[in-house]
Amino acid sequence: MRGFLLILRKDLHAEFRRPESLVSMVFFGFLLLVILNLAIPLGSEISPETGAGILWVAITFSSILGLSRTMSREKENRCIDGLLLSPVSIEALFCAKMAMNFVLMLIAQCSIIPLFFVLYGDSFLQSLPLLVLVVLLANTGFAAIGTLFSAITAGTDRNEALLPLLFYPLVIPLISITVKVSSLIFQGAAPGEYSSWLYVMLAYGCIFTGLGVLLLSHIVRE
Amino acid sequence: MSIKRDQMAVIFAALLFGTAVYMVFLYAPTERVMGPIQKIFYFHLSCALLAFLSFFTAFVSGIMYLVSKDMKWDIRGLASVEIGLLFTTLVLITGVLWGRPVWNTWWTWDPRLTTSLILWFIYASYFILRSSVTRRDKRAVFCAVLAIVGFVDVPIVFLSARLWRTIHPVVIRAGSIDMAPAMITALLVALGTFTVLWGILLYQRTKTLGLAGRVGNLEKQLDGELL
Amino acid sequence: MGAFLSVNRLCKDYEGRRALRDVSFVLEKGDFLSLFGPNGAGKSTLLSIVSTLVSPGAGQVEVKGFDLMEEPEQFKKQLGVISHNSLLYNHMTALENLIFYASLYKVKDPGKTALELLRVVELYPRRHSRVGQFSRGMRQRLSIARALVNDPSLLLLDEPFSGLDQYAAAILTEQLAELRDKERTVIMVTHNLERGLNTATKVGILAAGRLVFMESRQDVDRTLFEAAYFKYARGAGPV
Repeated sequence: MRGFLLILRKDLHAEFRRPESLVSMVFFGFLLLVILNLAIPLGSEISPETGAGILWVAITFSSILGLSRTMSREKENRCIDGLLLSPVSIEALFCAKMAMNFVLMLIAQCSIIPLFFVLYGDSFLQSLPLLVLVVLLANTGFAAIGTLFSAITAGTDRNEALLPLLFYPLVIPLISITVKVSSLIFQGAAPGEYSSWLYVMLAYGCIFTGLGVLLLSHIVRE
Repeated sequence: MSIKRDQMAVIFAALLFGTAVYMVFLYAPTERVMGPIQKIFYFHLSCALLAFLSFFTAFVSGIMYLVSKDMKWDIRGLASVEIGLLFTTLVLITGVLWGRPVWNTWWTWDPRLTTSLILWFIYASYFILRSSVTRRDKRAVFCAVLAIVGFVDVPIVFLSARLWRTIHPVVIRAGSIDMAPAMITALLVALGTFTVLWGILLYQRTKTLGLAGRVGNLEKQLDGELL
Repeated sequence: MGAFLSVNRLCKDYEGRRALRDVSFVLEKGDFLSLFGPNGAGKSTLLSIVSTLVSPGAGQVEVKGFDLMEEPEQFKKQLGVISHNSLLYNHMTALENLIFYASLYKVKDPGKTALELLRVVELYPRRHSRVGQFSRGMRQRLSIARALVNDPSLLLLDEPFSGLDQYAAAILTEQLAELRDKERTVIMVTHNLERGLNTATKVGILAAGRLVFMESRQDVDRTLFEAAYFKYARGAGPV
């Protein structure tokens, strides 16, 4: 627990001192929100499905910029070896990196989601509290897989360019569930209609967090 | 000796294929609504099941590699994914060929087809990953992890594939197709044939990759001695 | 008083080549082993296995009777490593780096320890500068301090003198002498016969993955040892 907090604090400290990841995530997220506007016919109200799709494409595509950096940061001067040599457990290392990704995504969402409401109409605004729940569940899954695979790509010759190619195929199911649930929430559907999907999202997060904890030691050790 | 045995296996598979073609095209009756295009279903389903089996063997090989760190499991995993991706590609092609006359569209977001498509992407990325790592032990670990994570993803992919927009509101399910007993027999023969083909492919591919690995090792040792 | 560190029939294959073959040796507490050998002899592999970063292909490493692979956490607390890489974060200051590592090792007062070490490696005036701005020599001095942050009872040094400027080398020599006096156990891998022989209590030669020579320092005649070393170095081909 102590090691977890120390590593997380170190990473947050570094990010706040020079917020490279956050700035690029938010900037790219804004860009995507503007570009995706092209998909909507002129003068028409956007449907909840389209809105949810646009929102989550912007979030997931911008998040990759942050995810790819959490592990590659440890590659400089082989700092990862410094962590592995210390008495900190590999579980604490995985959880710290995953928490870092979770927080990065959350902070970026804090500016992407409001801009989404501004650009695409505040008719969706009443669904905000439930959307927060979806965001938290989705972030868990994205952060878990993102952490595991950013550890892998940090060990390859192609580095960060490889992450999206490995990451997106695996998170397609999570993206499609998240979009579906968000669109139901935007429609104002009764929670009973999508509560089972929330459990699937929760299970997804738990399963891949567990797998990440189990598999990380194989990836980072020589 | 073993080469002779391998040849026998190939001849056996060829004979089985002749039988399967006979069973599918002549023995089984032609489906009333869809007509002869329904014949593709026998091969489509067989490919789908064997693709799934391949990914399962890749999953098991991945676990075995991480436990034992024995390169032979890496090779088995690679052979499994190669064959699995081949069969998934066949599933997609036969699916598209079937969909065109039956549903009057090349592609439909039917959950099974969507699942196959997503699986195709996951396991195609396996090869991109493979080509991006030079160190063999690292490559084996990374690929094992991808094979494990990818397979764990399969049930969730299938579950979520229901959410993709479906062009046709009524999804035609394999189980709901009216199947005459002769059709079931033909299906089982086709399935058996493809399973034999799958076994031969997996065995031969594993052997070839193993030999290639040994040649690589010998070359390295030779370099080491010359150094 | 039993063995502090015992390495038992260690083997490791790397990419189809045998990096280590059947390496065994025992170190008592306070031993300072200088390990020599030509390039590619397996010296770094041996250190990586002892430091738990690489798993052995076969054989065991035991520290105070505990198997390394089975109980690594206890062992890691007492381990210090100086490797080719500095293991330092460029974006953090010298002080932050040392405090971070000291906290990972659960050192009592990380701030005080860090400042003391910065004085030892004579970087105290630059403690608030980022490591990214440091010269190579300064980084190496800081990585010496980093390795000592937990007051290790076993120290592993991989070519610590290579590329070191004179100033840093002097500081390192001083620290090594102090460690020997404090009865710390040290394994130092080096090319440099002069420095290796000076501080060592034991000397060994690793060639083509085998430990071909291992003696107490006082039983070794300097000129004869040099001759033996060059013979093995040449035996492995041009270095």
